[in-house]
Amino acid sequence: MVMDILAKLAFCFYVAVVACGGILAVAAKNLVRALLGLILTLFGVAGMYLLMAAPLVALMQILIYVGAVSVLIFIAIMLVRTGPEGDESKPRSFRDMLYAVLGLLAPAVILGGALIKRPVASSPTPIEVTAADLGKGLLGPYTLAFELISVVLLVAMAGAVLIAFERRGGR
Amino acid sequence: MSALTLYQLVAVLLLAVGIFGLIWRRTLVGMLICVELLLNGAGLSLVAAAQLTPASAVLGQLGTLLIMGLAAAEATLVLAIVVVVMRRFKTSESEAVSELKG
Repeated sequence: MVMDILAKLAFCFYVAVVACGGILAVAAKNLVRALLGLILTLFGVAGMYLLMAAPLVALMQILIYVGAVSVLIFIAIMLVRTGPEGDESKPRSFRDMLYAVLGLLAPAVILGGALIKRPVASSPTPIEVTAADLGKGLLGPYTLAFELISVVLLVAMAGAVLIAFERRGGR
Repeated sequence: MSALTLYQLVAVLLLAVGIFGLIWRRTLVGMLICVELLLNGAGLSLVAAAQLTPASAVLGQLGTLLIMGLAAAEATLVLAIVVVVMRRFKTSESEAVSELKG
């Protein structure tokens, strides 16, 4: 019983973290603050993975997203050098606001309404999967996906170098 | 409300906030941050559906790991594109990059 209440409290805490981080990531005028909001959201989602008994995914979330992707985004922010008076703080037209609010409402109303109208039965406790099971899955039935993702990563890295490489003498 | 519905609602929240930001943001880097929010919502929804229903939990968790790999690849490519756009247009505003022939 106590564990149940604790789980609910932890879930509410993570929802608050995700919501605050999301709002900060979208609305902050300074891009570095937006990145901090994104990192907050990533930690909140990692906590939710832990609550769902998926510790490996939570660890990977922190390693890959917080460790690698946010560093990449930070380098991108450093490259564009926008200050607080940069492009993000110019006023928006009414049409932009209308489109943004429509884009916010469309999935919230359609998907959220469908979720609440037709709830799917869920098991009260999450399924426990060990890291060994995941490894067997990667080397067993899902080998092709595993190999393909490594090829995709390699091609993306090579493509990034190719795109950003400055040719001598220009083009 | 069941636990699965609650987790899926959080995923929908991430999706909605991400789409809002994608339209709201002016710079390419701001849009990249919003795309990461979207991908996180997808991962959360996938893990919730795998862990809280009789569906294969291994498949769901591995799918989320693949999404993370794709997100890393996508962030790398966007970083390269930002470098090229900065060099050619001297700004990272998405409105400025509207001509096809450079």
